Amino acid sequence: MAEQKEYFRFTVPQRFEHWILVISFTGLVLTGIPQKFAGANWAEWLIGVLGGIESVRIIHHASAIVLVLASVYHVVAVAYKIFVLRVRWTMFPRLDDVLDALDAIRYNLGLTKEHPQLDRYNFGEKVEYWALVWGTVIMGLTGFIMWNPINAARFLPGDIIPAAKAAHGAEAILAALAIVIWHFYNVHLKTFSKAMFTGKMTQHQMEEEHALELARIEQAKVDVRPAPDIIKKRERIFIPVAAIGSVLALLALFFLITYENTAPLTTLPRRAQPVQIFAPITPTALPSAGVTPAPTGGVVAAKPLPADHAGRTTCLACHTSMAQPALPADHAGRTDATCTTCHKAGGAPAAQPTSAPATAAPGATAAPTSAPASTSTGPKPQPADHAGRTTCTACHANGVGPAEPADHTGRTDATCAACHKAP
Amino acid sequence: MHRFASLVMASLLFALFAVLAVPAAHASGPGDSPLPAQVENQTCLACHSNRDLSVKLPSGETLSLYTDANAFNQSVHGKQGQRCTACHTNISGYPHPPIAAQDARDFSIQMYTLCRQCHNDLYQKTLDSMHAKGLAAGDRNAAICTDCHTAHYVTPPNEPRSKIPQTCRKCHSTIYDQYKGSVHGAALLDESNPDVPTCIDCHGVHNIGDPTTNAFRLKSPELCAKCHTDKALMRKYNISTDVLATYVADFHGTTVELFQKQSPDAPTNKPVCTDCHGIHDIKKVDDPTSRVIKENLLKTCQQCHPDATANFPASWMSHYIASPEKYPTVYYVNLFYTILIPLVLGGMMAFVLLDLARRLINRFQKNGRA
Repeated sequence: MAEQKEYFRFTVPQRFEHWILVISFTGLVLTGIPQKFAGANWAEWLIGVLGGIESVRIIHHASAIVLVLASVYHVVAVAYKIFVLRVRWTMFPRLDDVLDALDAIRYNLGLTKEHPQLDRYNFGEKVEYWALVWGTVIMGLTGFIMWNPINAARFLPGDIIPAAKAAHGAEAILAALAIVIWHFYNVHLKTFSKAMFTGKMTQHQMEEEHALELARIEQAKVDVRPAPDIIKKRERIFIPVAAIGSVLALLALFFLITYENTAPLTTLPRRAQPVQIFAPITPTALPSAGVTPAPTGGVVAAKPLPADHAGRTTCLACHTSMAQPALPADHAGRTDATCTTCHKAGGAPAAQPTSAPATAAPGATAAPTSAPASTSTGPKPQPADHAGRTTCTACHANGVGPAEPADHTGRTDATCAACHKAP
Repeated sequence: MHRFASLVMASLLFALFAVLAVPAAHASGPGDSPLPAQVENQTCLACHSNRDLSVKLPSGETLSLYTDANAFNQSVHGKQGQRCTACHTNISGYPHPPIAAQDARDFSIQMYTLCRQCHNDLYQKTLDSMHAKGLAAGDRNAAICTDCHTAHYVTPPNEPRSKIPQTCRKCHSTIYDQYKGSVHGAALLDESNPDVPTCIDCHGVHNIGDPTTNAFRLKSPELCAKCHTDKALMRKYNISTDVLATYVADFHGTTVELFQKQSPDAPTNKPVCTDCHGIHDIKKVDDPTSRVIKENLLKTCQQCHPDATANFPASWMSHYIASPEKYPTVYYVNLFYTILIPLVLGGMMAFVLLDLARRLINRFQKNGRA
């Protein structure tokens, strides 16, 4: 293809403005759409990539501020062209645009051979531009309602906030998909336009999309810049008005993004005061189940045997039938054999039911049955060939068989079989 | 004669004490014991049925050593015919090993790990609990097995179900008092309702975690949703099962849900169910004392949004899905976009496709001519 003639289309500030819009719009879409679809895996992934929901919201708000600032600039820039330079407002929709659109459809359907001759901004671009204006207004209004829900509810019914959220989300879908379908097709797919990169458009594209504008350029019917003194005169009115308008817009923006400090960026910290949750109403139940009458003196530590009782074994002979200190009521039925398990000789009152012999007073004679219980091994059973034997000590206490343990000293044949069972 | 009887008794008792050593030595397998459990337990009860049997601990406290035989026999272990030494493996005759406890609580804390011999799985679960952490940190009041189950009189802990909060009440009485007035607690305690949650349905049983953590907070909507998204269960009470979906669709719920998934331990000031409905004192939504009844909702909002005014609570859609009756503004906005979006995008799409088709046709014809 031969080198084409190129036509100047966008100034540097216009291109700059476009790229600011691209950045803020992309930022808003990337951080907004996943919020709308927060339950979806891809949305969750994207939010994660962008640093979590709180940082996503910060990016969204920052992008929104950039978009509003760009919008304010755009209004001033367009107003300057219209009111000071008095150029044609080429973006203003006209009836011709509708006719152009219909002609384009007819052409595409093959109903006519003539493609409509289009002006500097054709109907497709006007649709996109005004859709953007509409979208920005809707998104700005609903966005700031959500940014200031408490103050919005001062003047408006409360359900305006969920309604704003619904509109914001739906409009976002519309805007994002419109860009994908309309803008991407018309500017990138149909012919890849370099106008926003280089500021220039090829002759071919000019003929196809802006034939009317091209003809105007060829005939040098371009807008004539007014004389400097006329511009100065107009600026004397425009600049103060624009400045006041801009300052008011910026103040409004500042107000809207900072006024509400209870929501949504910061709310009161959650109630953090500790709550009394532990308040015992009953002491922890012990094995007694709480029915034990309060113990009275004497039941805890058994009385020791008086010194002169040493060696006696027939306790009940006196303590039940004679005028000796009677047994406590709960001792009823106990026998001589068990008395000394608690009532130790030696006058030491320390022998408690669960105490080991080690705690008995020094010098006290251990009762025959008070050997430390072996928890590791039980008594050895009798060997099979011992069946019927009754004279154990004849061997085991006389060095014939395996010797009895030291603590068995003094035991008699009568008791061996109690533990050492026949196999 | 009396003398003879005494001697016989003495020999018998002596023999009994002596043979006790045998089952005790093989306590791990009660089956091989030569003595029936009942006989063995009777031997223990010869002393331990004495209501006065007790020991003085170094702290000065008296530790009762009494066991109520009837109550034990009614317990799950008694009914199984468990012998005393099945738990008290360190006892194998008389005298018993010394008690090393300094005070009564010390004794309980030393003894409760006996449960672990059979119930190790549950014991291991308790190690993850707040109670075990409290105990390990030196809080001796922290609950151990026997505080909830008792030592000797263990009965099914959830029969009747109201026994569950009664058990927790032993220590958490202030919470119990809130719970019993709540919609859940009242239904359980007054009507024996089997559907409402008891303490353990939210807090777990043996591995009861810390309910004040960020993680517990962020997970709590799931806890409520366990029942409140159960259609069959909620139909009985005419309660909407949209509560979770509508919460998650809202700003608060979306945020909480995302936090829960992405940073489950992070603090968030966005409310969860309990911030509006209450925790242990949850009331029916039409109860005049409910925090979320219309009359009280503003106050509830003001917990976090102190500047909120009368219109503000209506910004929360009260778990409703927008309809012409409920939240018509939202409903019609949605309707408007349901029409506008396909209309605009469809129109654009049609135009683009037509344009594309024309271009392809033109190119094809040009190539054909060439």
